Amino acid sequence: MNMNLGTRGALTFRLGDFSFAVRVEEAGGVLDAERLAHLPCVAEPVAGVAAFRGEMVPVVDLAAYLGIETHGLPAPRYALVLARGVDRFALLIPEIPKLVPGRELREAPASAVDPELGELLESELETDQDHFHLLNYWKIFESMIPLGGAAGPSRSSVERGN
Amino acid sequence: MEGRRDEDRGNSPKPSAVLITFVTALLAGAAGIILGGLAAWVWVGAITFGGAYLASRTSRGVMTEGPLKARRLLLMLDRGGSQEANAPPEFTEEWGTLHERLNKMAFEARTSSTALAELERFRQQADLAASILRDGKDPLTEAPELRVGPLQSLLEGIKSAASTPVVSRLPLGEEELIGTDGEGLPPTWPKPTEKSPPRGPEIAEGVARGLRHLVQDLEALAATLGGEGRRPAGESAELRSPAQLVDAVVLTAADGIEDLAAGLMRANELASVAERVTNRATLLALNAALEATRSGSEAFAAIAEETRRLAEFAREATDTISRLASEIEYKVGETITAIHATSEDAKTALAEISGAAMPTPAAARSARAQIGKLLDRARELQQALHTSSSDLAGGNPTAGPNSVQEHVENDPSPADKLPAQGILLIEGLKPGAPLES
Repeated sequence: MNMNLGTRGALTFRLGDFSFAVRVEEAGGVLDAERLAHLPCVAEPVAGVAAFRGEMVPVVDLAAYLGIETHGLPAPRYALVLARGVDRFALLIPEIPKLVPGRELREAPASAVDPELGELLESELETDQDHFHLLNYWKIFESMIPLGGAAGPSRSSVERGN
Repeated sequence: MEGRRDEDRGNSPKPSAVLITFVTALLAGAAGIILGGLAAWVWVGAITFGGAYLASRTSRGVMTEGPLKARRLLLMLDRGGSQEANAPPEFTEEWGTLHERLNKMAFEARTSSTALAELERFRQQADLAASILRDGKDPLTEAPELRVGPLQSLLEGIKSAASTPVVSRLPLGEEELIGTDGEGLPPTWPKPTEKSPPRGPEIAEGVARGLRHLVQDLEALAATLGGEGRRPAGESAELRSPAQLVDAVVLTAADGIEDLAAGLMRANELASVAERVTNRATLLALNAALEATRSGSEAFAAIAEETRRLAEFAREATDTISRLASEIEYKVGETITAIHATSEDAKTALAEISGAAMPTPAAARSARAQIGKLLDRARELQQALHTSSSDLAGGNPTAGPNSVQEHVENDPSPADKLPAQGILLIEGLKPGAPLES
């Protein structure tokens, strides 16, 4: 475990000209997203829902949300499931992510941070070959779908009710 | 005493009468012997002269009929080229008889080594000479070893007869058909008489067979040129031009390669399925590694590592299959393009090499006209031969106006026209023959 970054590793993937990373502690798994069930009356970045280990998780098109052109990317699509407690959602990505061990990761200098990502950018990681944007993905998801709506009654609301 | 003497005189024979009787008997015997000898000599002489007479008659017949027959055969063989079907069967039968006899002698002489070697050499020379003659060539020129052997005299005779410039003397009168100076011709040639023997049925049969082949060839040629000749049924698929053959070969090759391309497409589909399986395996390995990383379990990490290696191996194999399929598909496409280009080049080259491959309309019309004339001549000749054969088979020379007797008296028989018309026909088949005139 990289004690400085507080993670055992990261799943990395490319989206357009940018590389992104997700901490393994936040990742619930990766699944094939060739067949998504589309939802009506939802915002454009919401691609639909997918089944993951017996549960239905919403899938967010990160490229569409960030406005990144993905034309020419390969057709196969995968969903990277993020889990926080019992809440889950998935990011639609065009490739199978790579698992980078925590020992190979380090925090990038502040100058390398892309200002376009603004408040969504949590930190910047890098290896000897590449550098990655570590985003606050839950903030992106909550901006589109409040946890009390799309993902069903959250545990916090249930607890409040109780 | 005197009476006894008289009695003795009267009773005793006279010595002169006995002598005369004895001499007469001797003379009679001598005369008989002489007459018998004379009679024997007369018989011997009669038999000798009779035999000589018969031998002279027989040998004259051979001398007159032999060269004529041989020259006819050699003429037909020479003009017929290597087509054995055009040669009369009796020539082949003669060679067959000779060959059988030689084989028999060689088989009988196997007990004697020297005789066996000599006969075997003789048989080999005969086989060699026969094969060269069937090809329409001169054995003495083609095989020098035949110049010193038992076949030398025979081959020289064949060569001298075959080299007789008969055909080159066209147009011919009937008296000039065989030979340059009439040597060896029977006195009745060319106009036959009642005494002249009819043509042998085997010769007529050989000529008829050759004519049938000739008519068939001409009809096929006329059909190929688009003329009015009748094409025999079943030959439409066999009579194809070189360009059509090139097209057929190209189409066959293209069909095979297109089948191969279809198989490659199927292989690509299977490769895509394998790639999907590989992706699933990769996802499985990734999820296992992710759980192992999250849990920190070394055992789980080891299993995840093995799963990852398996997924990598499957991906490498799938990538190799996809790359090979793509390369083969690309090369197949190039091959199809090259075949079509080669087909066009081959057709162009055929048209350049052989002007007959793409005849101009005028040349085609002229060729059709020539073929039509040749076909008419061949059919007339065949009809004449058929009529002659029917008359000969009827065996009644005085049956009516179409009898052989009338042909003999008024006009040469159709069979006698065969050499002249046949030579004209053969001359017409030669390239550049002035048939239009």
